[in-house]
Amino acid sequence: MTIGTGRVSSTLELTGVSRFFGQVKALDGLDLKVNPGELVALLGPSGCGKTTALRIVAGLEYSTAGSLTVNGVRYNETPAHQRDMGMVFQSYSLFPNLNVTENIEYGLRARKMAARDRSKRVDEMLTLVELGNKAKAFPHQLSGGQQQRVALARALAIEPTVLLLDEPLSALDAQVRGQIREEIRRIQLELGITTLFVTHDQEEAMSIADRVGVMNHGRLVQIDTPLELYTNPASPFVASFVGLANKIPGEVVTNGTARILNQTVSLSSAAPSFAPGTRITSLIRPESMIVTPESDTEATRGLVAFKSFLGPLTKLGVSVEGMPLVHLNIASSDVKNIEIGQRISFRISATDVMAEHA
Amino acid sequence: MAAIMKISPFKWILIGASAFLSILIFIFPLFAAATYSFRGEAGKGRSLANYRWLLEQEGFYPNLFTSLKLAVLAGILSLILMVPTMVFLNLKAQRFKPLIDFLCILPLIIPVVSLAIGAQVAMPEFVQNSEYELVFFFVIIALPYTYRAIDTSLQTVQLKTLVEASRSLGASWLATILRVIVPAIRSGILGALFLSFALGIGEYTITSLLHWETFPTWTVVAAQQNILGAIAISVFSFIGAIALLTAVSLLSRRGTKQTSITSEGEGVLL
Repeated sequence: MTIGTGRVSSTLELTGVSRFFGQVKALDGLDLKVNPGELVALLGPSGCGKTTALRIVAGLEYSTAGSLTVNGVRYNETPAHQRDMGMVFQSYSLFPNLNVTENIEYGLRARKMAARDRSKRVDEMLTLVELGNKAKAFPHQLSGGQQQRVALARALAIEPTVLLLDEPLSALDAQVRGQIREEIRRIQLELGITTLFVTHDQEEAMSIADRVGVMNHGRLVQIDTPLELYTNPASPFVASFVGLANKIPGEVVTNGTARILNQTVSLSSAAPSFAPGTRITSLIRPESMIVTPESDTEATRGLVAFKSFLGPLTKLGVSVEGMPLVHLNIASSDVKNIEIGQRISFRISATDVMAEHA
Repeated sequence: MAAIMKISPFKWILIGASAFLSILIFIFPLFAAATYSFRGEAGKGRSLANYRWLLEQEGFYPNLFTSLKLAVLAGILSLILMVPTMVFLNLKAQRFKPLIDFLCILPLIIPVVSLAIGAQVAMPEFVQNSEYELVFFFVIIALPYTYRAIDTSLQTVQLKTLVEASRSLGASWLATILRVIVPAIRSGILGALFLSFALGIGEYTITSLLHWETFPTWTVVAAQQNILGAIAISVFSFIGAIALLTAVSLLSRRGTKQTSITSEGEGVLL
């Protein structure tokens, strides 16, 4: 795949990359490979090391150990300004004294590109981000979304080997965020540029990334496609961090099965090993529950505490004695006759249940 | 107009009192000095005689030139020293800021005599033997003000992000400072430049202690010969200072118009 005038998109690889701040391990042996033209999102809670990883790739932070390569060439010692990486920051990072055109050509001037070529590239970028009518505007004359689009154009203008996005949508309001998110993905696919995207917003990561890496305590816990990550989480942390999960108490019956609600269910092979009798907390997705007839002897009974219409699905909150409110996502067509305050029966439909120590 | 009508009588009294005090304290003495400076021969009539006398004095132009030269150099040296240092402090060495804060206040605390003699012996002999040694003293005495002017400006911009954005786009440190930081903190830089220039051009004590002659030391001697000429010197100096202040203010405002960002509370106010 090629970008602009013909740069081949690159492979980014981090091997055993660590960063310690005194005794604090911000990044602990990160192994990550981003394939050419791929968009990988790093997702995790605050302080998990995702931004540190991105900053190390950009050369704005140094690694304590490990190696960083782009197309097999070691970049650890290369200063930030010689890395040819385009970065978009969380806060609008446009230069306030320069207009849109000057902002976009900033990196090209640093590379001493001829004026005619610069002008051509700026026009291409303005067309790409659909801001051709704002070429002479100053940053303060643009909305937040427009500023981020200019920042994206500025980062792409230098034909970077890798595009780095550091929570670029966080400062935008919800509506603009969705719009810019789609635009980033469109441009990324159009240019086929290798992209590393850092976010704490799982919806953002799951909706545009080819693969999502979930990080915790400086480590990459799991990296997979959004669907795999959601359906087959590798650990209780991933299951609870990605998507919504009911936390329902239970007890291990044998190694691999547990009694949860009124059922005996199989535990996920990715769950830790438990001795029989261990008290556990199961993590069950709202859509992994179904409403059943009264006659179901294994069903659990509870009172509908709330009902929320979400289009094709309806969310039910069911109050069961002795446990937190249980959430069920049921096809809207199946809950027409269910009202708030009504007693219903439900059961777990998932075949494998993720669990952790209670 | 409606807003003016809404002002309460009490506020009108306060405004009137403030205006009266301003006239009494600032404008009246200046007006009186200006009136005296235009008195003619033997204090009679109106003329420019005192200003003509001032301009005809042998030491007027050379000393004014010396002061301007030293003050300009002090302003430039202040900026060359302070801008990169303050950027470094704010970006990489925040923990040292309290110490630097304290060090920059020292010129206000240390008696001028100690400062002049103490600092002079620390300078190489070729500097001590040149009037340019005053440039270093001017930089030192302006330090508390230039430090704050630049620091306050740096606090209002997203320094780290702007620097990182510039660096990641391939710009060197020098290009980053000149093309991004300096325009972003333009008002602070102009303020620092003006302060060090103003302090330099008006500095008397150290210059006198070190036996150099500049415009302020020359005016003291010249004023002893002609009292109305001395008043003309005061008025001349005052108008010069006002003109300079206005020029800096206009320059600063022009920069602000072009570069300020205020949208969505995220921007940089210059």
